[in-house]
Amino acid sequence: MAPWGVPGDRHKGRFMPLTIQRSDDDRVVTITISGRFDFDLHQEFRQAFEHAEDEEASYVIDLAQAEYMDSSALGMLLLLRERAGGDRADISIVNCSPAINKILTISNFHKLFKVA
Amino acid sequence: MADGNTPQPNPDTPSGVGATRVLIADDDHVNRLILKAILAKEGYAVEVAEDGREAVARFTEWQPDLVLMDVMMPVLDGYEATREIKALAGDAFVPVIFLTALSDEAALARCVAVGGDDFLTKPYSRVILKAKIDALERVRRLHVTLRQQRDELAGHQRRLLQEHQVAEKVLAKIVHSGSLDASQIKYLLSPMAIFNGDMLLAARKPSGGLHVMLGDFTGHGLSAAIGTVPVADIFYGMTDKGFSIGDILATINDKLRVILPTDVFFAAVLLELDANHSKLTIWNGGIPDVAIRRVDGRVEALPSDHLPLGVIENEQLDRAVRVVEVEAGDRIVAFSDGFIEAHNPEGEMFGLERLVATLASEADPDSMFDGLLRTLGDFVGEGALGDDLSLVEITCDPAWALARSSEAPRAFRPRAPMRWSISIELVPDTLRSVDPLPLVMHLLMDLQGLQEHREQLYAVLMELFSNALDHGLLGLDSALKQTPEGFVRYYELRKQRLAELDHGRVRISLDHEPDGRGGSLRFTVVDDGPGFDHSRVFAPLEENVSFFGRGIPLLKSICEHLEYTGDGNQVEAVYRWGDNEAGADSATHD
Repeated sequence: MAPWGVPGDRHKGRFMPLTIQRSDDDRVVTITISGRFDFDLHQEFRQAFEHAEDEEASYVIDLAQAEYMDSSALGMLLLLRERAGGDRADISIVNCSPAINKILTISNFHKLFKVA
Repeated sequence: MADGNTPQPNPDTPSGVGATRVLIADDDHVNRLILKAILAKEGYAVEVAEDGREAVARFTEWQPDLVLMDVMMPVLDGYEATREIKALAGDAFVPVIFLTALSDEAALARCVAVGGDDFLTKPYSRVILKAKIDALERVRRLHVTLRQQRDELAGHQRRLLQEHQVAEKVLAKIVHSGSLDASQIKYLLSPMAIFNGDMLLAARKPSGGLHVMLGDFTGHGLSAAIGTVPVADIFYGMTDKGFSIGDILATINDKLRVILPTDVFFAAVLLELDANHSKLTIWNGGIPDVAIRRVDGRVEALPSDHLPLGVIENEQLDRAVRVVEVEAGDRIVAFSDGFIEAHNPEGEMFGLERLVATLASEADPDSMFDGLLRTLGDFVGEGALGDDLSLVEITCDPAWALARSSEAPRAFRPRAPMRWSISIELVPDTLRSVDPLPLVMHLLMDLQGLQEHREQLYAVLMELFSNALDHGLLGLDSALKQTPEGFVRYYELRKQRLAELDHGRVRISLDHEPDGRGGSLRFTVVDDGPGFDHSRVFAPLEENVSFFGRGIPLLKSICEHLEYTGDGNQVEAVYRWGDNEAGADSATHD
């Protein structure tokens, strides 16, 4: 056992905090988040959309496995929205727990994203 | 040089140059000679000691890089000498190689236990001795490098901490220079709040009203704190000039859109209490609900209606405010999300419902603030309360607003009285998009330097203009404001009628003349609405302070002259200032 840890060690306990799936026609990108949706995911989240070739794609953020979301996560969503076309972006945030729903409600993010 | 191997000059020696220094401690004269010869040939600098005590002494004065230590020596043996030398070396790594003929494992283990790093047995082999010394030298150099890096890091950290402390002081001065110390405001703000991007500001309006802003930047540290500077500047500057929260939040949003990156934003709630403390205006973008605890014990929670500031462009910004009637004794409570998200050891969050219940359950409103903190502390239990808890409680108290500001008047002297006049005419489009009061006040201050009279002048201007607009052009009846439902209805109607207004104008004229002691300023406000029967309205309302805002009685106490003419759609008020300020003398109001 390597004494100084293995790559990805900081996500000890959660195997894949963020996964990306593309629909068959590549029009819908689903990003599934598990565990804490906070600043630690910044790098991976950016990569999810930074290399998106199709700026017309719509996005689905699945938070079924997410247990916590903070304001840096809200910031990441804004980055995604900017990249995905700003006002024309089509982004849905689905399977929100009551706690996460509360955060989205207080911030009135349903004015910018479809929230379910 | 026997075999051409010269050790490099050792920069770590006290002198900075010279060969690696080796101290030989051995009571046997022949051993000393042999070892000294071997080492000298290899280019090391060598000193000797005959016993343990001498070894320690030579170590102290000569500071060798490495020690060859015999075990059996008189006075002080090798084990004890090694202990002392290792202690004296302290932070530095000075390897000790034991010279021993012993082969029993216990003795060898003891060598290591007292701090020895290796041992050499007889007969002494030049090759093996050199190999061991080289190996230990590598370790020693590594050790030196690590220590240097550690010291550098520690230095950086110290400097960073100092800079932080200075930055914190500067930010605190810039951001906290407002009215938070007013007697009717209780607040909790962590000392490190500024580095969390948390801010709590309060300032008086020239009319006597109050602005409070509780805000929270995303992120932590200096990048979050930086945004507080322009925001504080805008808040204090515009409040001082009499701007309303709608204008202030639009200016802040605009500024933050420009300077902040896309993923950084500013959740904020702005509260405006009018001078009477009868009307509360709220704009909340991203902060938890604002709670109002009424005099009768009921608690209302008003949620956030808007996106945080700095997220969308000003064209899309929704400036719609909530208007709520309040009365003396009502308590307004606002808090950051750190409050709601504080959790107990089981991971349960404090939550809004619990907070509202706590506010409602406190029988004595004066204890409500402390009671809430106590309840939160009990709930969190052993967990520490986070440093992102911001809490403010404002007590509605008209007496506070009417009292003259205790701040010393600023060092402005009125300019020499001059003759001048200005007139501004406002049509529906302008009335919808511009608040003329701060602009006119700005002119007044610049033209004649009447800062000392700012509050009274603003009160007069606001009274006259509001009447002309609300009553004259929009046809609103202030009697509607007498009931809570009517109060809300009044402002809904106002908003609606202003949006639909398609004709009519308000003209504000100011004429100023020197009068020998100071000056005389005549306000004339004309609107071309249908007017009202001022004789019917005038007399019976002299006792009713709350009819037109603070009303006609207040204007009469401030102004030397007040007269409604025409169909009641024209009003003239005269304000005198100077060494003998007759008009402003009567500080008592009806």
